[in-house]
Amino acid sequence: MKNRYWFKLVMLLILSIIVLIGCSDAASEGEGSNTDAEDAEAQETAVKEGKDLTIAVAANFISLDPHDTNDTLSYSAEKTMLEGLVGFDKDMNVVPVLAKDYSVNDDATEFTFELEEGVTFHDGAPFNAEAVKVNLDRLTAPDSTLIRSSLFELIEETEVVDEFTVKVKLSEPFGAMINTFAHPAGMLISPQALEEYGDDVSQNPVGTGPYVFEEWQPGDHLTVTKNEDYWNATGNEVDSITFVPTPENGTRVAMLQTGEADFIYPVPTEQAESINGTEGIIVENAQSIVVYYLAMNNLKEPFNDVRVRQAINYAINKEAFIEVVNNGFASPLDSIIAPDTQFYSGQSPYEYDVEKAKELLVEAGYEDGFNTTVWGANSSTAMNAMEFIQQQLAQINIELEVVPMESGTLSDSIWSVENPEDAEMEMYYGGWSPSTGDADWGIRPLVGGEDAYPPNSYNTAYYNNDEVNSLIADGLATGDPSEREQAYADVQEVIWEEAPWAFLTVDDTIFGKKNYLEGIYLLPDGSLSVENLEIVQ
Amino acid sequence: MLKYIIKRLIGVIPILFLVSIFIFLFVHLIPGDPARLVAGQDATIQDVENVRKELGLDQPIHIQYFSFISGIFQGDLGISLKTSRPVFDEIAIRFMPTFWLTFWSMVWAVIVGLLIGVISSTKRNKWQDYLGMFGAVSGISIPSFWMGLLLIQLFAVQLGWLPTGGLDSWKSYILPSITLGSGVAAVIARFSRSSMMDILKDDYIRTGRAKGLKENKVVWGHGLKNAMIPVVTMTGLQFGFLLGGSVVIETVFNWPGLGRLLIDSVAFRDYPVIQAEMLLFALQFILINLIVDLIYGFLNPQIRYD
Repeated sequence: MKNRYWFKLVMLLILSIIVLIGCSDAASEGEGSNTDAEDAEAQETAVKEGKDLTIAVAANFISLDPHDTNDTLSYSAEKTMLEGLVGFDKDMNVVPVLAKDYSVNDDATEFTFELEEGVTFHDGAPFNAEAVKVNLDRLTAPDSTLIRSSLFELIEETEVVDEFTVKVKLSEPFGAMINTFAHPAGMLISPQALEEYGDDVSQNPVGTGPYVFEEWQPGDHLTVTKNEDYWNATGNEVDSITFVPTPENGTRVAMLQTGEADFIYPVPTEQAESINGTEGIIVENAQSIVVYYLAMNNLKEPFNDVRVRQAINYAINKEAFIEVVNNGFASPLDSIIAPDTQFYSGQSPYEYDVEKAKELLVEAGYEDGFNTTVWGANSSTAMNAMEFIQQQLAQINIELEVVPMESGTLSDSIWSVENPEDAEMEMYYGGWSPSTGDADWGIRPLVGGEDAYPPNSYNTAYYNNDEVNSLIADGLATGDPSEREQAYADVQEVIWEEAPWAFLTVDDTIFGKKNYLEGIYLLPDGSLSVENLEIVQ
Repeated sequence: MLKYIIKRLIGVIPILFLVSIFIFLFVHLIPGDPARLVAGQDATIQDVENVRKELGLDQPIHIQYFSFISGIFQGDLGISLKTSRPVFDEIAIRFMPTFWLTFWSMVWAVIVGLLIGVISSTKRNKWQDYLGMFGAVSGISIPSFWMGLLLIQLFAVQLGWLPTGGLDSWKSYILPSITLGSGVAAVIARFSRSSMMDILKDDYIRTGRAKGLKENKVVWGHGLKNAMIPVVTMTGLQFGFLLGGSVVIETVFNWPGLGRLLIDSVAFRDYPVIQAEMLLFALQFILINLIVDLIYGFLNPQIRYD
């Protein structure tokens, strides 16, 4: 009997400890969720010792060679060390960086850059027209296997006009070229380092930026230190920045809470509210240029009927979608490109209207609905999204089968298609980030006719419309911004009406920082900007 | 004995050779095109083809296997498709963190597991037994990612005693080892308990008690040594599994180890890295099996290797 008594007592003790731990957690979360943005502003500034920052990010860095990089995260790190001729500001406008000024000829075939004088690379090599030429020649070399060469393939010749003037000639007009130069792929590496390391510059980046490469332990951390001789110094640079890849959301948030990290991104949307305003943490979100869409195979029945495509657009409640899938951290997509993409022009939304959707289906002859499948990634967000769409479409008798796939399998299924007619894809849920920030790269790869069909490009909607194709070509044929604007305004209107996709959302970028940090933010393309970074105590 | 070890070691080579064929085929059979994944989200078809050529993926599969296997014989594991760094370097910098994490997890798991198991078996159906088995069942049932996050919340965020993750100092080992070892400790506790219970019924235990040996000597000296064989088998297996790196633990604790490398490589279809890691795991398992066999001989002299 006595043993039983002890046993119960011990069990009770253990149980109460578990409950208590649970409670303390819940209590602190409860507190957090009541705070709003004002409270976050009002809290006392957290204390920062020293000037060494730690930034926790969600994945590993892949390369530090901007010419051979295709992920935004690697670009974020590269941008602390390297700079381009031009760059993007907070709203994706092209601004001068290493070029003081630039000019474009009328038919968008010649770009002339006036360079900053007196700039040197971290290894002491001078920055001049010759250095620019070495970099562009590297990208455009015929035998180049660099991932980003294709962005620059239109460059016919780079000409050194004088020591600080460089002229780039294109083989055909390409109005969006200045955005390509502003793309992080256009960042410049020291010619001396290129010679010394060859393609191993991906492990030894040498640029002109505010921070100098210190060390990179793949999978563990990447450290950059202050460039004491930075040409454009604000005087507020920190001593060092260490990037720590932290894939687990909960751990990344915990690092910010304990102060082991000063800045984290992305913040998981489900935790954003609860940590904002606690322990000196501020969570900030802003609209990105990443659009999410549901592509419909326009070559296949029933999606070859515009009424069906419009019906699907009307049947999806975007506000509810954003609450369910993004916890509110997104906005409805109201054109094929996001507002911060150049030459965006908003369209009048497909308001959620089930009756109208049903009418359109009846007109198209599908009063009993139909069965179809949607493909997408197997991440929990993508699966949530597809399941939500499944519920929405059930309202208009469309029975949707959700087929989540692992990334390699998904890309194989979409791109190993020889003949467009044989494509098995019916619907595809995916996202697109036009990394050059220009309308062209947000439209042409996705709906730009036969040339863009998989496997060549990303026209997963198999959408081919002569009017759209010629407007896209018009947009590129000139360097005149107002002519380009007109072409893109027209093309967006047509695409919106034609609805090759169900237009879904523009996601927010979302980061968390300690409140002593100023001037550090995410650009709409999801990359990090630290140029104006400072610690304010 | 030495002859036996050498014989076993030579036997490793054909096994690894077979394993390499299987690994190579399976890795290439999974759907997904590394060239496209390397080239990235917005690559053109030309980029993809460039990458394919650069990586040698345009070669017929038997040629690719041949260059893989001849590389291994020259001590060259190839270049990572994803990072363009030598595969050997990628694995080398991650091996020791995983090894030491596994080692410390196993050390505490074996000690605590055995203690609980033996005490439970001698106090059968008393509160010590119930408590011990309650702990063991919890250890097996609690999902490790949840336990890890709970420990981080408590010891890193609330109390601030230990770091949330990464590998900076000895403190970094504490939370991940506890999380990683808890399941193993639980399994060892259950194994040693049942094994001890069988042994304690044996005649020689009764003889030991009858001739007046102290109970501690009977249990820990005579009983435990004989009860160890299934426990050693189990421990060896677990050690082998853990050496492969725990994806979950390494992700939660931000550990720079082999588990995260493997999951990254699989997602990226980084063939050379996957192949090299799988070969390494196979080799580790074979060696651990050998060590386990040798320990059997030490524990039970009836087992001979001649």
